Amino acid sequence: MVMARAERTGEMAQRPAETRSTTPAIDWRGRLLDRAPFLVACLMLALIVGIYGSLQSGVFTLDELNLDTAAAMTLMLAATGQTIVLLRGGIDLSIGGMISLGTVIAATRFSDDPSTTAFWALAILALGFVIGALNGLLISLLKLQPFLVTLATWSILNGVAMIILPTDGGSIPTWWVGFASTQLFGLTSPVWMLVALLAFWWWFRATRVGIAIQATGSNEKSAFLSGVSITRVNLVTYGLSGLFAAGAALFLVTQTGAGSPTIGKDYILPSVAAAVIGGVSLFGGRGHLAGTLIGAFVLTLIGNLVFVLHVSSYWQPVASGVILLLSVLASSVAEKAARGRVQ
Amino acid sequence: MDLVTVKGLSKRYGGIVALSDATFSARAGEVHALLGENGAGKSTFIQILSGAVQHDGGSILVDGQDYRPANPDAAQARGIAAVFQELSLIPDLSVEQNVWFRHEPRTLLRTVDRAEMRRKTLALLEKYNFPALRPDQELRRLTLAERQIVEIAKGLAKDPRILILDEATSALPAREADWLLKLTRQLAAEGRLVIFISHRMAEVRAIADRLTIFRNGATVAAHEANAVSDNEIVTQMIGRHLDRLYPERMATATDRVALNVRGLSSGSRLSGVDFTLREGEVLGVGGLQGHGQRELFQALFGASRASGAIELWDKPVSINNPRQALTGRDGIALVPEDRRGQGLLLTKSVRENLTLSVIRRFTENGLLSRQKEAALVKEMVDFLRIKAGTPEQLAGTLSGGNQQKVIFGKMLLTQARVLLLYDPTRGVDVGTKGEIFQLMRDLAAKGYAILFHSSDMPELVHVADRVMVMRDGRVAATLEGERISEAGILRAAMLEREAA
Repeated sequence: MVMARAERTGEMAQRPAETRSTTPAIDWRGRLLDRAPFLVACLMLALIVGIYGSLQSGVFTLDELNLDTAAAMTLMLAATGQTIVLLRGGIDLSIGGMISLGTVIAATRFSDDPSTTAFWALAILALGFVIGALNGLLISLLKLQPFLVTLATWSILNGVAMIILPTDGGSIPTWWVGFASTQLFGLTSPVWMLVALLAFWWWFRATRVGIAIQATGSNEKSAFLSGVSITRVNLVTYGLSGLFAAGAALFLVTQTGAGSPTIGKDYILPSVAAAVIGGVSLFGGRGHLAGTLIGAFVLTLIGNLVFVLHVSSYWQPVASGVILLLSVLASSVAEKAARGRVQ
Repeated sequence: MDLVTVKGLSKRYGGIVALSDATFSARAGEVHALLGENGAGKSTFIQILSGAVQHDGGSILVDGQDYRPANPDAAQARGIAAVFQELSLIPDLSVEQNVWFRHEPRTLLRTVDRAEMRRKTLALLEKYNFPALRPDQELRRLTLAERQIVEIAKGLAKDPRILILDEATSALPAREADWLLKLTRQLAAEGRLVIFISHRMAEVRAIADRLTIFRNGATVAAHEANAVSDNEIVTQMIGRHLDRLYPERMATATDRVALNVRGLSSGSRLSGVDFTLREGEVLGVGGLQGHGQRELFQALFGASRASGAIELWDKPVSINNPRQALTGRDGIALVPEDRRGQGLLLTKSVRENLTLSVIRRFTENGLLSRQKEAALVKEMVDFLRIKAGTPEQLAGTLSGGNQQKVIFGKMLLTQARVLLLYDPTRGVDVGTKGEIFQLMRDLAAKGYAILFHSSDMPELVHVADRVMVMRDGRVAATLEGERISEAGILRAAMLEREAA
């Protein structure tokens, strides 16, 4: 005992003299806790796929993957934009209006002439970016809440969509509709789009712009003091969200074959839900697109599950809500555990 | 030639004049200290220099050329970087991402070159002999002191010609503060200008070549550091003669035990603390930083999970959350470490901050009585001499010392008579420090029991009736009377285990 104490005291006395110590060990448990919401989302997806696969044959095939990805792709595109906005610490409700507007423009302007169609497709994408950027500008310059600004632009875009095409209809050229079932190496274009989205994210997140957006969502004042232009960040963030919403519209018409002035609202809250299920924080600064895409799969497959269980389709929103609650609970438990460790 | 020359600089925020006539000149290769009470205009001055805000009048010349940065980027482009007291770090980025934020080395794909960033980070940490940091650690996992060190690395990463250190030592433990002082000299030797702001006179004495003193938004004097005495500096800072920083220590402790703690443990940082705090007593808590002081305060306030026995005024209690700690006259109130983050709502008024946690005291039949509230707020503002235009002024616009007074007011209004003060003078100017110490002694004389931690050792020595020194999460020694000295505290903290 006495010896041990003496050694200990010697050690203590030396500590102040030491100027450069070695780097501390890697905090594995902390890293695991950080990724807990994402891991929970993966677990949920595995569970749902497992149940679905045990009730239905042919679930574990490429065909099924092609089908489900096509079903989820509109939501995935919308949720990609939403993920960027959430990472910035904002929210974008206007994507509902943009998706509707995109589908009605496509349904009224697309024709069998590829060059006309290509022109309007690009115009829709450009419009998406410009309207999104306007959202960002309004939020910055007027110092308004993103919720209110995008609520207003949602309503405006919705109205414009109604004026262009009051009821569902119009027509989409068959070759455009056929895009969604085009195959390469046995995988349809939506699956390749999924790969492209992940590649985009891998790149975007590591660019200075991507980091600045995340940093601004994490702590706006610090970002400003570090030299970030908050106006520019908002412009790019909401611009990209509008761009992805326009992309969602262009994909959506391959599934519906028509335009709809009201269809966009079905993607507003699910886009937020997909991101949150995938571990993206509503408070900004934290999250990853891979989680959002898994969240979008979860929300889509719930529909399939309800179908094969032969229960009323009204159970789908109930199940989605329960899953959303569970994921929020999981991330908050992980957050608490992580914080407990810091103290 | 001077590297920076400032003449007649002014800045107002609405009706408040933050800076009226600042004059300043400094050379390359020197450490230039900026002194002044909180609210004297130092913060505004460095915010202008670093591009965070723009001045209204006057001129700044850098290298003989006009300087008026529109934003922090423009300032950095001219070679000026600031290490902010409030820190400019991003919680969700890693240490190295923070250090190189917006200046990350890039690959051909325009993405961040992680390998290069790691190499540059290690080279920077190595060159300036930084204390241990993991480059890939996420910032929100770091302590306040570690974050301060990251902020310093971030400033240096820009290789600035002019580096502004705004109270960078106030969050650092003694060893790291020493390192920073050495680093500051090293930077000056490299030909840089370091503008150094600190409330600790000893530090200024140790490293400054010259110093400039601000008062009420204007420059009052500039000196060669070795040509002026401490007393002259303090007199010029506060504009009057400060008789005494520390109040007279009177024995006001009674035999009645206010707080009796046995075997308090929490996590790995607090293991079996025993002590008693008596009515009318100021009990100091000292020791090297990180030996359980923070955890002790958090456990007593119910902000972290702890085991052990606590008796308040002879009654056993269990405190599992801050709400249970705040139960009226028999409760415990805390002045937290991070007043901007934990203690104050900066965007709320002085009145709202004071009454937020005691709103029940002003309600009659479920309705708020504005009269009662106004009367108590006025009483508190007068008692603490809080310098605010009206009680409706936003807390965020007050000087640091006045913000701290608002927190004291908030705490006193809870009517708790056991007070936990965690570093209450951190970043507070010398005049207000004196007021806070006097206030502590006055409260003790009224029968309050005060547990007092300070990172500035002389404060413990001069204000506390007894000093309990912590080491490895335990009480290493409790010093009384003559034995209370800086040497005694250090000895107990570092070396011998004295018999209590």
